[in-house]
Amino acid sequence: MINFRRTLFFTLSVLFAMAQFAIYGQDKSDDLDQQKKSYEAVAEIFRTRCLSCHNSEHTDGELSLQTLAAIKKGGWSGPAVVPGSVFDSYLVDMITSEDGKPAMPQDADPLTDQQVNTIKKWIADGAYWPENETLSLAPPIDLDWWSLKPLQRPSVPELAGESNKWVSNPIDAFIAKKHEEMGFAATYPASKLQLIRRLYFDLVGLPPSPDEIESFINDDDPKAYENLVEKLLASPQYGERWARHWLDLVQYADTHGYDKDKMRNNAWPYRDYVIESFNQDKPYSRFVREQIAGDVLFPETAHGQVATGFLSAGPWDFIGHVEVPESKIDGQIARLLDRDDMVSTTMNTFVSTTVQCARCHHHKFDPVHQEHYYALHAVFADLDRADNAYDADPAVAKKRFELEENLAKIKAKLEEAIGPKRFKQLETAMNQKSGNHVPEFGWHSDIAMTPDTPSWIQFGFHDPQRIKAMVLYPAFDDFNNIGAGFGFPVRFKVEVSNDPDFTNDIKIVFDQTNDDLKNPGLKPFRINFPSAPEFKFIRITVTKRSSRKDDYNVAFAEVKFIHKEEVAEAPVAPDLITSSGSIEAPPRWQEKNLFDQHFPRSRSGNERQAIMCLLTPEAIEKLESRGIEFSDENLKQIAAHFEDGLYKTLKQTIKSLEALPKQQQVYSATVHNGNGNFRGRAGLGPREIRVLKRGNVRTPGEIAQPGTIPVIAGRVWEFGNTKTLGERRVSLADWTTRKDNPLTWRSIVNRVWHYHFGKGIVNTPNDFGRMGAQPTHPELLDWLAVEFRDGGDWIKNRQSIKDLHRLIVNSSVYKQASADNAEYSAKDKNNQYLWRMNRRQLDAESIRDSMLVVSGKLDKKMYGAPFKNFVVEKPEHSPHYRYGKYDPNNPESHRRSIYRFVVRSQQQPLMNSLNCADPNQRVAVRNQSNTVTQSLAMLNNKFVLAMSNHLAQRLKNEHDELSKQITLGFTLVTGRGPIQSEFVALHAYALENGLEDACRVLFNLNEFAFVD
Amino acid sequence: MLFNSGGGLGGLALASMLSNTCFADESVQADYKTGAAPKAKRVIQLFMAGAASQIDTFDHKPELEKIDGQKSDFGEKIEAFQDGLGPWMKSPWSFKKYGQCGKSISEIVSPLGDCVDDIAFVHNMVSTSGVHSQATYLQATGFDRPGFPGMGAWISYGLGSENENLPTFVVLPDHRGFASNGPKNWESAFLPATNQGTMIWPNKSEPITDLFAGDRKAAGNNAQRLKLLETLNRTHQASRQADDRLEARIRSYELAAKMQLAAPEALDISQEPAHILKLYGLDHGKTSFPKEINPLEETEYFSKKCLVARRLIERGVRFVQIWSGNDNGFPRRNWDSHEDIKRDHEPLAIGMATGAAALIKDLKQRGLLEDTIILWTTEFGRLPSSQAGKGRDHNPFVFTNWLCGGGIAGGTSFGPSDQWGYKPLDREHPTKVYDIHATVLHLLGIDHRKLTVRNNGIDRRLTDVHGHVINEIIA
Repeated sequence: MINFRRTLFFTLSVLFAMAQFAIYGQDKSDDLDQQKKSYEAVAEIFRTRCLSCHNSEHTDGELSLQTLAAIKKGGWSGPAVVPGSVFDSYLVDMITSEDGKPAMPQDADPLTDQQVNTIKKWIADGAYWPENETLSLAPPIDLDWWSLKPLQRPSVPELAGESNKWVSNPIDAFIAKKHEEMGFAATYPASKLQLIRRLYFDLVGLPPSPDEIESFINDDDPKAYENLVEKLLASPQYGERWARHWLDLVQYADTHGYDKDKMRNNAWPYRDYVIESFNQDKPYSRFVREQIAGDVLFPETAHGQVATGFLSAGPWDFIGHVEVPESKIDGQIARLLDRDDMVSTTMNTFVSTTVQCARCHHHKFDPVHQEHYYALHAVFADLDRADNAYDADPAVAKKRFELEENLAKIKAKLEEAIGPKRFKQLETAMNQKSGNHVPEFGWHSDIAMTPDTPSWIQFGFHDPQRIKAMVLYPAFDDFNNIGAGFGFPVRFKVEVSNDPDFTNDIKIVFDQTNDDLKNPGLKPFRINFPSAPEFKFIRITVTKRSSRKDDYNVAFAEVKFIHKEEVAEAPVAPDLITSSGSIEAPPRWQEKNLFDQHFPRSRSGNERQAIMCLLTPEAIEKLESRGIEFSDENLKQIAAHFEDGLYKTLKQTIKSLEALPKQQQVYSATVHNGNGNFRGRAGLGPREIRVLKRGNVRTPGEIAQPGTIPVIAGRVWEFGNTKTLGERRVSLADWTTRKDNPLTWRSIVNRVWHYHFGKGIVNTPNDFGRMGAQPTHPELLDWLAVEFRDGGDWIKNRQSIKDLHRLIVNSSVYKQASADNAEYSAKDKNNQYLWRMNRRQLDAESIRDSMLVVSGKLDKKMYGAPFKNFVVEKPEHSPHYRYGKYDPNNPESHRRSIYRFVVRSQQQPLMNSLNCADPNQRVAVRNQSNTVTQSLAMLNNKFVLAMSNHLAQRLKNEHDELSKQITLGFTLVTGRGPIQSEFVALHAYALENGLEDACRVLFNLNEFAFVD
Repeated sequence: MLFNSGGGLGGLALASMLSNTCFADESVQADYKTGAAPKAKRVIQLFMAGAASQIDTFDHKPELEKIDGQKSDFGEKIEAFQDGLGPWMKSPWSFKKYGQCGKSISEIVSPLGDCVDDIAFVHNMVSTSGVHSQATYLQATGFDRPGFPGMGAWISYGLGSENENLPTFVVLPDHRGFASNGPKNWESAFLPATNQGTMIWPNKSEPITDLFAGDRKAAGNNAQRLKLLETLNRTHQASRQADDRLEARIRSYELAAKMQLAAPEALDISQEPAHILKLYGLDHGKTSFPKEINPLEETEYFSKKCLVARRLIERGVRFVQIWSGNDNGFPRRNWDSHEDIKRDHEPLAIGMATGAAALIKDLKQRGLLEDTIILWTTEFGRLPSSQAGKGRDHNPFVFTNWLCGGGIAGGTSFGPSDQWGYKPLDREHPTKVYDIHATVLHLLGIDHRKLTVRNNGIDRRLTDVHGHVINEIIA
């Protein structure tokens, strides 16, 4: 059916084309200008709709549309265009169809009728094409856009009269200038009550207490407001408030998201880093540089090590990394998306630029081509997200840094001394931990009720073996508190034979059947075969088993056959293992564990192995030939020779490192050194990054060179290829914080403005591109950006966010009333020009934190692991986060909302209904919906009910009379005392339904949720 | 009425007035209607979490019966998610032809045999990923990563509500827990929050979170409380009339009160007559079930959700999403049958097919099927080769969707898969989720290319930059 229809379409479109041709034929123009215009239009269509697949680099259907010659030559289906003949031009068939579903562009919207006609007319007119012209794949880099223009400090407008009186700093001058143009008179300021509430919620996210309000209102000091600003900026709650804004941008959460949404228990040090950075008023460029490359730039500081939690804050596909290796397509897609998240977050956050669409195609509007986007991938090509150890104490961090530098030097010397091979073996031996560190314990015999029940295990080889020794590694199991040496036989012998049944031709090579053996603990039990017999089978027969718990067993962790005396001899596993009876309980107990090279270590065993590495094979040979055994005693003497030298220094340095306080873990971006599918790139070098055609890992293109987007006029966007991966990130950090970066400084001042006013000067804080909004006050924005970047009369400390706050909140425009003005509203309904202050609808955190403050329950404890306001079920696989089962009266959860454990897939219902940031989105502007779900949550959520009860209790503790309780409750919630009608209504309600229920109503007031 | 019932721009405008949001950068494409009279008004989506096997349900492959047990050879190198490239494995169930169209379906979905003449099957679906999370996102939101609105949220956004007392978009999760990605599959993301899927758990004592306070008696007088709240809020509003948000918030409390009345009524299936309960297989009279997964229990849960879905759409809910299967915990309670296809698929499929067939018949007898689309989907399919002897590994290369009602051409099978059910027969022209979404939007009267919202500098739409309406399955 399909084929039939296709044929029909073809016929129809040919007829259609002929008809068109007839028309255009008459209209043929000789005018060269006209032809050039026609060419330009066609070139534009090709460039935006066709060239990404049909170009000389990757030619789908063997067709390139870059040159006229290639177009005329065509692809698989013959000439794409025959100049002058629409009828013969296959291209026209491909882009037209009768049912609106033409073959091309594939997987995309068809060309518009107008575009199709443009192409047809161009063909009919002879397909004019400038000589030797090759269409460029990418749109030209066009920096003619407000946000890409170089930053220059505009002069501050001069004003006169009333306007000038209103102006208290340059911000006001820029705003008032617009007011004059719009015919707005100077507006009046907010009341002192409104101002103190506004400032508190804005700067610290908490309500002022009635006492604080009263003393502010009664403070006649002309500097009372300024003093309040200083007090709030200096309070630690300031950082908690403003860090939350930053966490919105970076998609911060305490779980990974995606499938299973497993916990990410060490995300919070990054959250604390952001709080500390705001409280310290860290210069912005330092803040940026730390988050892109702190581990490289400032490795000796705690902040340097924690800050790349920025790059890892977003979602992480656990399954795509841990269950799927990087060699599979699905694994590559997971890692591509992972880097895409890092790239997008970095560029959205710091330079307010949307680059992510260039994963599949050149940005349609902004100067971001695919090679720029993948250049950014190349910057992050060695990174993964994982837990990393760090020192919270800067002094310890510094000490560790020095010791590690020292260690590296010693190791290099030692490596030179004993050669890389033995050095590697030495490191392995020294890094081994004692005790079981894998779930594969070893082999376990059947269980017998008497110790003398015989048990044997034997190993068979296809080829005859000749070995020097066999080592039996004892097992470790806490069962019945046995631990080291678990199941090691008390009496046993070892025999070899070429007969698998051990009926004849038996040689006994070891016999311990007459005396009890002292349990060796974890010390490897070595049996030397001085005669080195040849055999195909070797059997261990136990005549007295080890005691377990009212029963008896045999167990070993590992068996090793030694052919030559070399430290890292390739292990030899037998071809066949048989036994008189064993317990197969994988992964702990199974036959194959005996040869998996996993066995519990004792410290002395590790030491012994390490010392062996210091000896050359020749030395070992020599010692052996003299009949010297490698007994512990002998090894000690051998080691003594090395103790004075490098080995001793090495051990001491390691010891000093181990003596440092235990490190904390932070989840951050790192060159990961992992196991299994989630291997990471440590020691492997960066991933090769290619420009992916249509963003598909199956169609890789050219290798991408590290770089960034070409938005700084006159600067090369490539970073150069010789740099190390860490240096690539340093290059990106340098580029981002360059003085001439047109985006960075505009971006941050706009964000700060947005949080103060509820609306940015540019209303799309994450996108300053051509799809974003334009600034309402471009000169003000640029003035702020330059003043912030360079410092000046108003921002005394260069790049101080707190100075920027001071400048903004001390302006007259910030201190205006929020009341409406019908006349101005008619001209500017959305208050773009700030003829009033915007009324603030409180965010989820402010509402929840205010309820805690008002009810007297807020625990101001700062920093540290997050509180969980849910019960976790089935944590071992896919955790179920049950908010409904959590008791909101638990004081552990009475901390500020920034310290809550954020579940990425599923937020707490109350916070969710109040539009807390979705950690799968880079939230520059909070959603402000009032939904039914929100009303229901505010009325009925257990947290609200609990806080209503606590508030009622607080009121009862402070006053005996209901009337006073009501008045205080209302004052706590709104900042003012109730008027008569409000008081009467509440009082009557409380009498009938109880004070608790009245408090519940108070928390639902609009006046509680909005700040004038 | 707050939302206009026809939806459209009115719905949008009113929705945004109510929620007064700054969800998107600013621009909303205004004219996103196709212009034609919409054939459908609402959607019920049935989502089989874990990846339901196409070749054991709706895509019969006689070839597998011939080569069963032979070493599998796909004619090319393939990457299985785990190690599911064992011998070819035929379906452990028999297939039978049904209806006038003679569609051959498996015995475990045989209750749907009566309905095949109403159903259009699409057998050449392909995914971009064999990882549950990404593939589930793709089916649910049109993107293979987090951060995008669910299909129901887009439709709610585009059409508005038909009933202000109930949510526009309702999700009935598997009672045992969430599938891959959890609630992110139905979030509103950058759309206004009113479009977010509201979870309803019909079998739980609290079917909607926070619909009522935990202890209703202690909670006092609901109506009186809301009246006091409104009085106080009106006093506050008096000097702030110009701020729409204050009015919107007052109104949302009124709507909350209405939902407190409407939702319990909508969920109360005790009003349903005996023959309806029988139709849905809910007349078994049992209140407890064996520990092992079993068909009766699966029917109880899935079918009840189907019945609730019918009651919800009758009351004006625009989009209902029903989930079968939870996360990948053990014992397995989803369609991800790596170990044993028979153990999991049989009870799940019987329960699903019983509920789905009852829903189709029930809608039909009420005249609702003609403007209600039922869409059956899953994140990907399963391989025709075996894994661990009795199971099947992931097959993102081909799987089946089916649609029914609301202008869909019944008795259709579109886009065959190859002889094994490994890839589309015509590998150059597979069907993608964008095409399904485009088709559903088209039937609802929406041009999928035009319903866009700008977010962080990109005009986003459900179908990204893809999607073609599948005319072959439209009546």
